[in-house]
Amino acid sequence: MTRKIAFRLLQSLCILLCLTCSFSAPSLAQSGSDPKPLIDALAKADFSETEVLLGKLAATGDTRLVPALEAFNAGDLYFRKADSLVFIGEAAGSSYELIDPLTGASAGQAPKNAVTKIKINNTLRRAIRSALGGLTLLSPDRSVRLQAADALLRSPSPENLDLVETALAKESDAEVKARMEEARAVSLLPSDRSLDEKRAAIQTIKSLGGRNALGILNTVAGTIDPSLKPDLDAAVSAIQSEQQLWDMAQNVWYGLSLGSVLLLAGIGLAITFGVMGIINMAHGEMVMLGAYSTFVVQDVIRDHMPSLFNWSLAIALPVAFLVTGAVGFVIERGIIRFLYGRPLETLLATWGVSLILQQTIRSIFGPTNQEVGNPSWMSGSFPVGGMTITWNRMWIIVFSLTIFFALLALMKKSSYGLSMRAVTQNRRMASSMGIKTPWVDALTFALGSGIAGIAGVALSQIDNVSPNLGQSYIIDSFMVVVFGGVGNLWGTLVGALSLGVLNKFLEPSVGAVLGKILVLVLIILFIQKRPRGLFALKGRAVEA
Amino acid sequence: MNFKAKLGGALLAAVLSTTALHGAFAADDTIKIGVLHSLSGTMAISETTLKDVMLMLVDQQNKKGGVLGKKLEAVVVDPASDWPLFAEKARQLVSQDKVAAVFGCWTSSSRKSVLPVFEELNSILFYPVQYEGEESSRNIFYTGAAPNQQAIPAVDYLAKEEGVKRWVLAGTDYVYPQTTNKILKAYLMSKGVAESDIMINYTPFGHSDWQTIVSDIKKFGSAGKKTAVVSTINGDANVPFYKELGNQGIKAEDIPVVAFSVGEEELAGLDTKPLVGHLAAWNYFQSVDADVNAEFIKEWKTFTKNEKRVTNDPMEAAYIGFNAWVKAVEAAGTTDTDKVLDSIIGVSVPNLSGGTSTVMPNHHITKPVLIGEIQADGQFEIVQETPAVVGDEWSDYLPDSKNLISDWRKPMSCGNFNVASGKCGGKGS
Amino acid sequence: MSGFVFRALEGRIVIALAIILGVAAVVPALNLLTPPDSTFHIPTYAMSLMGKYLCYALLALALDLVWGYCGILSLGHGAFFALGGYAMGMYLMRQIGPRGVYGNPVLPDFMVFLNYKELPWFWHGFDWFAFAMLMVLVVPGLLAFIFGWFAFRSRVNGVYLSIITQAMTYALLLAFFRNDMGFGGNNGLTDFKDILGFSVQADGTRAVLFAVSAIMLALCLLLASAIVRSKFGKVLVGVRDAESRVRFLGFRVENIKLFTFVVSAMMAGIAGALFVPQVGIINPGEFAPANSIEVVVWTAVGGRGTLIGPIIGALLVNAGKSFFTGAFPEIWLFALGGLFIAVTLFLPRGIVGAIQHGYKARQALKAAAEAEKGRGSAETVAQAAQAAE
Repeated sequence: MTRKIAFRLLQSLCILLCLTCSFSAPSLAQSGSDPKPLIDALAKADFSETEVLLGKLAATGDTRLVPALEAFNAGDLYFRKADSLVFIGEAAGSSYELIDPLTGASAGQAPKNAVTKIKINNTLRRAIRSALGGLTLLSPDRSVRLQAADALLRSPSPENLDLVETALAKESDAEVKARMEEARAVSLLPSDRSLDEKRAAIQTIKSLGGRNALGILNTVAGTIDPSLKPDLDAAVSAIQSEQQLWDMAQNVWYGLSLGSVLLLAGIGLAITFGVMGIINMAHGEMVMLGAYSTFVVQDVIRDHMPSLFNWSLAIALPVAFLVTGAVGFVIERGIIRFLYGRPLETLLATWGVSLILQQTIRSIFGPTNQEVGNPSWMSGSFPVGGMTITWNRMWIIVFSLTIFFALLALMKKSSYGLSMRAVTQNRRMASSMGIKTPWVDALTFALGSGIAGIAGVALSQIDNVSPNLGQSYIIDSFMVVVFGGVGNLWGTLVGALSLGVLNKFLEPSVGAVLGKILVLVLIILFIQKRPRGLFALKGRAVEA
Repeated sequence: MNFKAKLGGALLAAVLSTTALHGAFAADDTIKIGVLHSLSGTMAISETTLKDVMLMLVDQQNKKGGVLGKKLEAVVVDPASDWPLFAEKARQLVSQDKVAAVFGCWTSSSRKSVLPVFEELNSILFYPVQYEGEESSRNIFYTGAAPNQQAIPAVDYLAKEEGVKRWVLAGTDYVYPQTTNKILKAYLMSKGVAESDIMINYTPFGHSDWQTIVSDIKKFGSAGKKTAVVSTINGDANVPFYKELGNQGIKAEDIPVVAFSVGEEELAGLDTKPLVGHLAAWNYFQSVDADVNAEFIKEWKTFTKNEKRVTNDPMEAAYIGFNAWVKAVEAAGTTDTDKVLDSIIGVSVPNLSGGTSTVMPNHHITKPVLIGEIQADGQFEIVQETPAVVGDEWSDYLPDSKNLISDWRKPMSCGNFNVASGKCGGKGS
Repeated sequence: MSGFVFRALEGRIVIALAIILGVAAVVPALNLLTPPDSTFHIPTYAMSLMGKYLCYALLALALDLVWGYCGILSLGHGAFFALGGYAMGMYLMRQIGPRGVYGNPVLPDFMVFLNYKELPWFWHGFDWFAFAMLMVLVVPGLLAFIFGWFAFRSRVNGVYLSIITQAMTYALLLAFFRNDMGFGGNNGLTDFKDILGFSVQADGTRAVLFAVSAIMLALCLLLASAIVRSKFGKVLVGVRDAESRVRFLGFRVENIKLFTFVVSAMMAGIAGALFVPQVGIINPGEFAPANSIEVVVWTAVGGRGTLIGPIIGALLVNAGKSFFTGAFPEIWLFALGGLFIAVTLFLPRGIVGAIQHGYKARQALKAAAEAEKGRGSAETVAQAAQAAE
């Protein structure tokens, strides 16, 4: 036990040391006019001193500081070891281009080991955000002002109040003005302004709504004047009840989004398994190949034409379709065509194929995750009322439905679709009618594989790109196809979306693990009720 | 019907010859060490790297003249992420290949699976991954972090530097997160955090749909107190988790996430720009500014012939374990298990963060704890470094283990000595 | 009854039984009685490895009974195996007693550090060997009964049945991963000490466990053979080949299937129970759908519907896996994957099936040739040639 005690002692000693350090720090010069000494003081400051310095920098109101603070936030602020002067550094080969933080003038180059990066942590990032918000509030650029107001909205502090009010007085744009009003309200609440002003602020925040507003109100709930308590509580419960409705909507959205992922995973299988009757255990690996195609495409684009990065997914789609389609074609011609009429044996052969494909990818790309970037139009989110919709989820829903309907059209409206349906319904008859059945088989399997491949392109945006990618989707996709009803594309759509929504409604109450188990049990029970899935094929094909 | 009998006989012969084959190659001029990491299956993603590190270390040692004047030879097997297969392969390495020590395992289940094998056959395993503690075996050295070398300092950092008052403990539903979260909960409550300010959430392995949980975290974070997430989410599920965090706009300035299973390798699969400022606690980061580290990174990139390969904490743990073993073998003058077990305690070897790590009598090692913030380039910026901390095998924050200590030196030689009753519980009594 | 057993003793089954029982006697004897440096010595490592294969062989045999003879392709047989294993594992955990690391006489270690206050109700009774052995049969049997009762009554069959058996084992996998279930979560049950008072690590115990595995395999083979060769077995094959016709003949198809499914699940449970003390761990990984698919693969490689084939398949594939994962750790998956493809393409009946078929075809050709000599009928030759295809 003594060892443990010794360790505790050591710990407290360290804390003590740190404290004394901060006390003995140089007293910082107060300078309202010239921020340069303040900036240079950053070189030697620790985190808590830096926070103080940032407050002072913000208080100067000097807009020349904006580039320096932005660079600081991005981790591009350095000090020169020789004279402890602070510069913005831009990497230029093996050295840095030093830029004066205030004037923006170049101060020559310095080798990497001659400068030290000024460290930053989350607390400082918050301080910078707030400082930048204050400094850019009067910018001539409307969007910058809007951003500034947003930043202040997220970091309420009474010190910002004067700044906001000055800006508010000069503001003419309605939207920016409204945002500034909100920013003013959040900073006013913790200040020492009059109760009436605060009451009005509570109303403003209430109409703002959403989680942020709730957080702001809850923060001040403990310290606010008791006479304002009823207003505050009313505002909180109003926001909460509104939020509850939005939460429901949000949950449905999450469910649809999960459903669209399941649809993507299952739709290729709906062709190879559903239509052709092949128990295709290599389906997941086709998805994986699609994701790796995306990775390769992005890699080439990054190296050779970075400007095209936003188009990388659009380029990856045909590439993935062709690659996986070709692999599917080879598998069909090489293995599966010998196994028609023996569906259970296709399970064994395709299982073997899946092992080989996984190991091939592992040998080529290594076992670790590969980075597939999100193009800018797939990053971030936008608010719809009280819910947040992320762009990538939205595009995936759109994308999966597009694929679904395109496939449906192909099957129902094209002559190829007609021959495909003919072959799967009655091979010999179709053959007698002059349809080249082997050719149709190969194309159909290639189509199913290709679609799994383009699903992989989309899934690479939300999941790991590793050799195990396919394994994590294979069971889910079989569940979707079987639940929806083998051989029916609509069944797959309805099955995927309903399983997604069901899962998301179970998750909040029972947790993710139990939710998934319950969904599986429900599928098992459902199959008892409808042994051929949601949309069963009728007629003779059933007994085949 | 005779051919069936023949077939059966041939089959039996085949089984016997495969097992006999391994023994036949034992040469005397090399010292063999076993490498027991999954090269296929779900864990290959993490473990293959460690196999490569071991091969590199063996290679380097041989260039330096080997150990005790003999060359080292690495025997690599693939337990395929299958836990019973781990036990089988461990047995094969020790009793067929006659290896002097084994370096391997990643998950706790694999370690639990091979533990009885190493104790029975009296061999040595070096285990290089952070784990939940609550174990100390005579035959295993734990060179990864125990919870007090990772989780508790990280929580301290958040509470002190970021003023966090409300905690989400999110993890994958298995033993490491469960135990770590139990310890953290007890620790936080001992620091005066109310139970209502702690939210615990578990997800299945490989969970990929994080929408609900991320929005729950947002909801929990809007209660007006500074909130942070302590993530014990297992490797694979992290990429979709962070992608969702980034997309839902949870910024590190608002709700920081500190992770114990996310290192440079995991980040290599991610665009880290939206994640700048989220934290991780480890005993090593690739960005550590030390000459020994720069050298190690250079050798690693040369060895793998890949400029993009990163280094991470379990690699450092493997490096420390390997060097400690080499030093102990040279001190003992033999690879005999009992002698090495005696000589290794107290051995100090350089770690990659510029200090030294010492093998303690509880078979854990001393290491500094580093807290790092994720940077846009996929590396970590170290924001705090503690002095070296001794790995605490039996947590002080769990009621049943707070009285237990482990000391494998004579005369105690006990992995679970109860200081209250003065007895060695269970084993070794 | 004697007729029932006697019918089971068809020639090749007798040979197989003799080999298995011979192995049961010879291997432990060679392990225990010969000095380690003797050429005949079988090291303990090899013996427990073979013991493991025998358990897999029993599992494959159980699958063959339902798949090969009743047409139910279960992708969830690993679940029954794992449940049997857990029942045995719980017994072994309870035998540790106060020798766990925390010295708690009642609670297993994992319960202690997860703050369990008392033993969950379903752990009671497992300290008695007899009760645990009963559970090895009852738990998988009961699950199979409930599952089968619903599924066969609703006439779920074909791939639908396969997929929901997969859903079943997947759901169990997720459930057993949960620490709240009280089965040790991901780590499972491990670090066993004694079985019936004998140390599980002693060579003698391992030898006995090996012998018991071999004997159980022999007994189950006898039972399976008796079933398929009885009148009931003929109906079973009827169900496999033309379910509707059997139903129209007045048989209760669902009961026939249910009986077979339950017997098979119990066999799988026995296999799991014997597996656990020999490998020293049981954890949720055994429920993984991939494991169950592998069992199907062993059965197919050996030859479904032959009873002996699955045993040979399980032994061969697993011996291969052991060898390749050690000898070629980087590329063994290519070999394994290639094997599956090759077997389905070139040996659709499996190894034993192919040999059997070749033998029958030769016989038929011979008979036809003789008939040709006698009557000169081309038709019989054509028939024989067709059979030989």
